[in-house]
Amino acid sequence: MDTPSRHADDRKTAVVAQRMKKPFLSRKTRHLAFVWMLLLPALLVYFAYRAVPLAWNVVLSFSFWAPGKPIRFAGLYQYQELAFYDGIFWEVLKNTAIFMLVIPISIMLALALALLVDQKITGRNIYRTIIFLPYPMMVVAVGIVWRWLYNDNVGLINYALRSMGLISRPIAFLESYDFALAAVIAAAVWQILGFFMIIILTGLQNIPPHLYEAARIDGARAHHRFWRITLPLLRPSLFLCVILGVIASFTSFDLIYTMTNGGPGHATDLLITYIYKAAFTLSRFDYAAAMTVVMFVLFLALALLTNRLAGGDAGKVDISD
Amino acid sequence: MATVEFSSLVKKYGPLEVVHSIDLAIRDGEFVVLVGPSGCGKSTCLRMLAGLEEISGGKILIDGQIVNEIEPRDRNIAMVFQDYALYPHMSVYENMAFSLQYRGFNKKEIKTRVAAAATTLGLTDLLDRRPKQLSGGQRQRVAMGRAIVRDPQVFLFDEPLSNLDAKLRGSMRIEIKKLHRRLGVTTVYVTHDQVEAMTLADRVVVMNNGRIEQVGTPEQVYHHPETLFVASFIGSPTMNLVPAEHDGTLLRLNDGSVLIRQPENKAAQPGAKMFGVRPEDVTVAEGPPPEGHSEVEVVVDVIEALGADTLVFATVAGSPFAARVPPATRLQPGASARLRFPNDKTHLFDADTGKALA
Ligand SMILES: Nc1ncnc2c1ncn2[C@@H]1O[C@H](COP(=O)(O)OP(=O)(O)OP(=O)(O)O)[C@@H](O)[C@H]1O
Ligand SMILES: [Mg+2]
Repeated sequence: MDTPSRHADDRKTAVVAQRMKKPFLSRKTRHLAFVWMLLLPALLVYFAYRAVPLAWNVVLSFSFWAPGKPIRFAGLYQYQELAFYDGIFWEVLKNTAIFMLVIPISIMLALALALLVDQKITGRNIYRTIIFLPYPMMVVAVGIVWRWLYNDNVGLINYALRSMGLISRPIAFLESYDFALAAVIAAAVWQILGFFMIIILTGLQNIPPHLYEAARIDGARAHHRFWRITLPLLRPSLFLCVILGVIASFTSFDLIYTMTNGGPGHATDLLITYIYKAAFTLSRFDYAAAMTVVMFVLFLALALLTNRLAGGDAGKVDISD
Repeated sequence: MATVEFSSLVKKYGPLEVVHSIDLAIRDGEFVVLVGPSGCGKSTCLRMLAGLEEISGGKILIDGQIVNEIEPRDRNIAMVFQDYALYPHMSVYENMAFSLQYRGFNKKEIKTRVAAAATTLGLTDLLDRRPKQLSGGQRQRVAMGRAIVRDPQVFLFDEPLSNLDAKLRGSMRIEIKKLHRRLGVTTVYVTHDQVEAMTLADRVVVMNNGRIEQVGTPEQVYHHPETLFVASFIGSPTMNLVPAEHDGTLLRLNDGSVLIRQPENKAAQPGAKMFGVRPEDVTVAEGPPPEGHSEVEVVVDVIEALGADTLVFATVAGSPFAARVPPATRLQPGASARLRFPNDKTHLFDADTGKALA
């Protein structure tokens, strides 16, 4: 193609190229600079309020320190104390583990409810709203409501149990070593249930209805369809619930604080409330820091394990492709 | 293998009736295509046959047995969906084995059957893949594989090719046809694409607005459309349809010009008619018209050269009128021309009822 018009084209391109100024920075550098510019405010906040305190916390956990006193290196002293000399630490750790029953219980209930309100029943939006409602409520309010419900003199639960003839004398649930933890767990389940249901419902609605139709034609009965289609395709949603549940178990401070403040004794103290007491009641910030590090490591391990079990796709919404 | 029969089949969604009393008998081993515009009720009929939709009235029989109350899994049918409906969390092998697991096959039998189906469809190398790792055409094949492993009595297809590009659609069409030749299974195939309908079907069922307009071989619906709707739906470009008036002996266009002198016994009744002739039966007139031919005077609007032939789009008496002519035409846009067609290739419809007049 060696025609005159081709040469003309070449010349035109050259002129255009000359006219365009070479930018100061390369395209890639400019792009990167832009990305960092957008990230900067978030990163600053993150470092100021998360990373720095976390690092300070780790430093503190290897020190002796009280407000107004100089800081001294303590080695593993704080960790030795919690591991070998503090029986309460192990009790609250056990409580925290038991409190995690909230996760399977609320996931199973939420799954059942989600399956129910996913049906074409009349008023299903009302049911959905009612079940979701506790979640956005302030936890402190929830705690207070439940404290009244469990109350042995005026509580609705005792009243109901007595009118049904199930008990003869009222039970002070929240003051009882036998019932307090279970009572707190029930309240926590009630609170988080609606949130889990919405997550699972979203997962359910992301499953293409044609899959169920194909399975029906293929010969799968309702329970086959549940085990072989619904459940595997809900996996990301369910694991998202697990991770959120783990987080909640380590951070349910406000619910415990308002309902029992850890009592009776330490029967309902969780790691988080015990840490709070160590720091702000006993002013043992160094010891609290060590326990916080333990909690952080435990939490990280559980979260990683969950995500590993989920195949790395916890919370992934799009399952089609 | 089985026959399929719709008897006064009705479907209502609440008060809205979308399928109005359809009767259809499908023979054993026949390939029947339901074709019609979007929303005409094709899928609804197919889904009632599959057992996925409740039947509001009438009956469906498979192999002589009423299946109205029978669960999909017990109808011994297989269905290929438009979006394939492959199980995303299962491999190709598991997708194909799924139905066999619920039909009492042991592991070894399942393996043999899946392997055989995979060979038929060229899926052998893909058995370990997940659906998302497949191309559209491969997914389509897996969906078909899932259907054939079971040796069902009836195959149902709901627009299985509409998510593929034109080229792939052409080759998959041929494969479906081959598969049907080989397996001989009664097949009901839904499409809105008339080319698919014409090429695949033993018989075509043209539907419109929840009713059957015509049932016939591709030749019958093409050459002898029974209604105006079928005439306009089948064929590309569509049949030229021009309003005309019959005065007992002559058929005249709106502008008064005579269209046909001897309306060959068609439409003895005078009145408003629709006159039809296919573009492929129209030629450019040269010399005096031979016996049994008629001519119209048109104004040429557009000429489209397709390579093998040329489409001429013109206007006659205010109506569009097209002709498919050999590539070397001397017609010019804007000029007038005389177009000619044999009288025995023309169609006449009652303007009010839309029914063909024999
Ligand atoms: N669940 C439903 N509720 C109410 N109306 C429906 C429902 N499903 C389908 N319809 C209506 O029934 C009619 C037939 O629908 P159908 O899906 O059978 O059409 P179709 O011929 O398959 O069209 P397409 O080519 O677009 O798939 C349409 O008018 C549609 O709006
Ligand atoms: Mg459809």
